[in-house]
Amino acid sequence: MKRTPSNLDALFDPRTVAVLGASRDPSKIGRLVFRYMLDSEAKLFPVNPSAGEILGHRCYPSLGSIPEDVDMAVLALPASATPQAVRECVDKGVKAIVCLASGFGETGSEGKRLEEEIKKMLASAPPERRPRLLGPSTLGVYVPRRRIETIFTSRERNPRPGPGGIAFISQSGATAVCIMEAAAAVGVGFSAFVGIGNKLDVDENELLDYFAADPETSTIIMYLESFKDGRAFLESCRQIVPKKPVIVLKAGRSESGAKAAALHTGSLAGSDRVVDGALMQARVFRAYDEEELVDLARALDHGRPFTGGRVAILTTAGGMGVIAADLLESRDRGVGLKLAPLSEGGKAKLRSLLLPFASANNPVDVTANASNDHYAAALEVLESEPDLDAILCVMQFQSPFVDERLMDIVTDWFHRGEKSIVVTSIGGELSQRALKNLTESGVPAYPSIWRGVRAIGALHKRGVWASANSKR
Amino acid sequence: MKAKDLLLSCIPLAEHQVKELVQSYGVPVPQRLVLEGDEGLPRRLPFPYPVVVKISDPQILHKSEVGGVRLGIKNRAQLERAVSRMRQDFPGKAILIEVQEPPGVEAIVGLIYDSAFGPSIMLGMGGILTEVYQDTTFRTVPIDESDAYEMISLLRGARLFEGFRNIRASKSALVSAMLAVSRLGEELGEHIAQMDLNPVIVYEDRCVAVDAKLLLRKRGSAEQA
Repeated sequence: MKRTPSNLDALFDPRTVAVLGASRDPSKIGRLVFRYMLDSEAKLFPVNPSAGEILGHRCYPSLGSIPEDVDMAVLALPASATPQAVRECVDKGVKAIVCLASGFGETGSEGKRLEEEIKKMLASAPPERRPRLLGPSTLGVYVPRRRIETIFTSRERNPRPGPGGIAFISQSGATAVCIMEAAAAVGVGFSAFVGIGNKLDVDENELLDYFAADPETSTIIMYLESFKDGRAFLESCRQIVPKKPVIVLKAGRSESGAKAAALHTGSLAGSDRVVDGALMQARVFRAYDEEELVDLARALDHGRPFTGGRVAILTTAGGMGVIAADLLESRDRGVGLKLAPLSEGGKAKLRSLLLPFASANNPVDVTANASNDHYAAALEVLESEPDLDAILCVMQFQSPFVDERLMDIVTDWFHRGEKSIVVTSIGGELSQRALKNLTESGVPAYPSIWRGVRAIGALHKRGVWASANSKR
Repeated sequence: MKAKDLLLSCIPLAEHQVKELVQSYGVPVPQRLVLEGDEGLPRRLPFPYPVVVKISDPQILHKSEVGGVRLGIKNRAQLERAVSRMRQDFPGKAILIEVQEPPGVEAIVGLIYDSAFGPSIMLGMGGILTEVYQDTTFRTVPIDESDAYEMISLLRGARLFEGFRNIRASKSALVSAMLAVSRLGEELGEHIAQMDLNPVIVYEDRCVAVDAKLLLRKRGSAEQA
């Protein structure tokens, strides 16, 4: 599938990039951005009137002196120098501008004035030649597959994620970069990151539509503090959600608590329940913290949605099975699904294949003495159970008779089987390595029982939403 | 924004005006009679006793707190006394006489103009405990039938609509009232800061909005709700 051309393409797939404020001084962000962007395929033009050469690249005194067309201009300049630079971008016919500086509308009246000036500069260009501007006050973009990157925090101290299917639109750049770093550490990849900053031109709704059409993106996550146009946002989501899940972490929940409250409806709306309801109406998942944001994305990006709500637990320890069962079935402290009774035939098979102390009832407990083969046998039996939709594997990679091949067994069933599978495992290094390995193979895998149960709950919700939608 | 500032920036309607409005969109309201100015009681009420007598004035939003509500009026003599007492306490204000509806499951259906999402509808468990339990859910308008049923199912009080302990409360009656409020919100939501129908009493085969409050948005107060 090829992407339909968009005037935002130059932000994510530029052929030529000019870095204004590229510097020989290693402490300057212009230097860092230029150095990182060198890893991409894009042709680079450092712009700095007072430097001759930067990292072996000839420096241009101005944007206008670059002999080629420029797709993207990165402005690593102070706020005060930005309007003039935008003017030069307009004159040069640049397609996309990434404005990294802070010190605009967020700081007060002088900043607001600068923003107005930038808007005027952009508006002075005829619409078909008008550059698109990201920011200001943004970390810009990061496209792992193409190494397009304007993030100006140190890669050494703040490692970036590798490629994957999740696009991340964030109103806070640093927050998103840290969230992605944590996600990368457990094996999660991203198709793109974009920081919307002050949303002077490009806003979340446009980016949402962009990633909806992006063949490299299969799931969209967002960190938002405000909606530029809530109605349009919901309308876009309604179109996108049947194809790609959208998960939103909307922060600033207590801010609207100050809402006017003359009548009941007003005071009850105060605790941002309108946001809650509106997102659910558009079938958008709402996350309440950064961990849930990425957890749900991982589950929904690769996992298999289901409608029936009948779940089996496969475990090695009675306690883990009971904890998982509680969380699965409880409505208040869980996801309100059902442990499925297993068929008589299935139970008989389990009894004949598993160890003597194993439990053939749901939760199926293969015991800590189980080998790879016992797991494989149990999974095979569960996969052929007729009245079962999902399997939560609460695994113990530490037990004595299992090894790395166990991950292949689970991964294989995940891709080949018909049930929705989610894995959890409690433990240290060994267990975390196994979970990372599974995650990299696309299996939703989590280091706590609750997070795995929550993922199962999300897959069920998505299945139910999708089937209700198709009936409409 | 403080409630007082909000009130000053919005225009309230009198209860009988709100009821007329919601009724025209299909929300059932009690049979009623309005006495404007010093209009006298008709010889016969067009509906049976018991009735309720309320003051109905844009400036008096919380009527029962100022003695503006008389419940359980069973006959003509009581009615005449109640009306003349209201006239004394609230000279020149309109008086609303309504059929007193029997008790039932109480819901609240509301509208609010949300600064991010525009006109939005609320459903909650109603009555005097509305704010205590805060058992509510919101949707942007318009909603469709399946949205309305989903909203009911999301309330902690949803079981009251499922035949809990012989309580009979018609989901479909409530849904049709919600759809009426949604239509109202769709057409006029830009002008309404907030509206409460509380309670909407739900019975086995019908529902009725017993009290109704509405604040209009003043022109240019777009961001205030």
